[in-house]
Amino acid sequence: MNFLDALMHSPILQMALLAGIGASITSGVIGSYVIVKRIVSISGSISHSVLSGMGIAAYLKYVHGVAWLSPLIGALIASIISALAIGWVHLRFKEREDAIISMIWSLGMAIGVISISLIPGFNVELTHFLLGNILWVSPSDLILLYILDAVILIATFLFHKRFLAICFDEKQARLQGLPVDFLYLLLLVLVGISVVVLIYIVGVILVLSMLALPASIASAFTRKLSMMMIIAVVLNILFSIGGLALSYRLDWPTGATIALFAGVIYLLSLRFKRPSMVR
Amino acid sequence: MTLKFEEVCFSYGAEPILKNVTFEIEKGEFLGIIGPNGGGKTTLLKLIMGFLKPTSGKISVFGESPQKAFSQIGWVPQGFDFDRQFPITVLEVVLGGRLSKAPWFGGFGAADKRAAGAALEKVGLSSFSRAAFADLSGGQAQRVLIARALAGSPSLLLLDEPTANVDGAAEKEILKCLDSLKGEVTILMVTHNMHAVENRVKRILSVQTRAIILPAGKVCEHFALGLYHDFLPEEEKR
Repeated sequence: MNFLDALMHSPILQMALLAGIGASITSGVIGSYVIVKRIVSISGSISHSVLSGMGIAAYLKYVHGVAWLSPLIGALIASIISALAIGWVHLRFKEREDAIISMIWSLGMAIGVISISLIPGFNVELTHFLLGNILWVSPSDLILLYILDAVILIATFLFHKRFLAICFDEKQARLQGLPVDFLYLLLLVLVGISVVVLIYIVGVILVLSMLALPASIASAFTRKLSMMMIIAVVLNILFSIGGLALSYRLDWPTGATIALFAGVIYLLSLRFKRPSMVR
Repeated sequence: MTLKFEEVCFSYGAEPILKNVTFEIEKGEFLGIIGPNGGGKTTLLKLIMGFLKPTSGKISVFGESPQKAFSQIGWVPQGFDFDRQFPITVLEVVLGGRLSKAPWFGGFGAADKRAAGAALEKVGLSSFSRAAFADLSGGQAQRVLIARALAGSPSLLLLDEPTANVDGAAEKEILKCLDSLKGEVTILMVTHNMHAVENRVKRILSVQTRAIILPAGKVCEHFALGLYHDFLPEEEKR
């Protein structure tokens, strides 16, 4: 059966497609801020430290029977805490932020791996969290993903001109009386929420591929941030559908296939990068 | 009175950057600020904008503390302190000067867009509003930054070496643009370029830890390099 036939008949693939589209919207929008604000490594740190929340939530759910606490909720809580912690480190300890942020990255991963290792049959859970499994998305997950999408889009609509100001020229934003530190932390929290959305698609390890690569490619083709976001969303949707189809055809892990597809297109796009405009 | 410094000192740690700086600027004045690198010129601007607080002494901008007067200040930074690949249009850059007046949520209003358009017209770049900021020449980019400062209708305009790193023709355009603002707003311009200020201003503030205000005719390039400062009698260093 080819991919299109399978898509027509398989509810699992249809859910996966909807999840991919939902994740593409949020990652295209927030990924564009990540690229222009140059916070890719900070976003990487948030995405990896989220594993701690997922691990603890999974441990409490499966070992101690806390039924309402899904790994997704754990991830959401951890993403907000780690975004605020990393943001605070950035604002407070600029000179040493690399070391401290790397420490948060490793600590989050360590807590997550240990928590998950305490769950009987942990190998499957750990693999899903680290590498994602778009075919694993349940209807309730999908609802939560689209609620998070809505939160990100509303926040972007409300705050875009202020986010643009702090990304382009922080000093001018301060002179205009903007609460620059608050806006920076809010942006990182939105990055954290995007990470949670993406973890189901590509997993903790490959989140940056959906967050940063499409926006990076888009930046070569436009000089307007809002247009960059639109291009990045379209690219993300293409990568999600293309990756899903390829993984179905080749029987490869879906998240890794999407990330590989995005990476190859990124490398090809470097041919079209504009030369430096510095005069 | 637009601006008043009273015995202002500022230091990073033990090293004094500014010491007992006292001066006053009248409304509508165009003042040049010169001095050697590391002499405290940019620190002086940061104190006026409220980014830094003096270690001692008092600064008042329009009778208020700098932190309260921010909406009356326009700032033009050194031209290429930016990521030139940043995806932003000229109009979006200029609208950045309206943030303190624009509604908190959502986009900019019609009044903001009108003010940004008028500011671009003032610097002669109306036709560039949809162009990418990254595609402008150095001189054009600097004029866009002046337009951004003007978009907020400031009463005090601070410029930090606006003609640095631009060619002669661009420098002429920038200075022409500033000449057209004389009398409308109070202007403080930091520069190393003596001929940019000597015929434009009546007074020059020479800053090298201490600050001296001198008539423009009494100042030569040696002041900009800080060579005469140490030989002046104490009373002239005020």
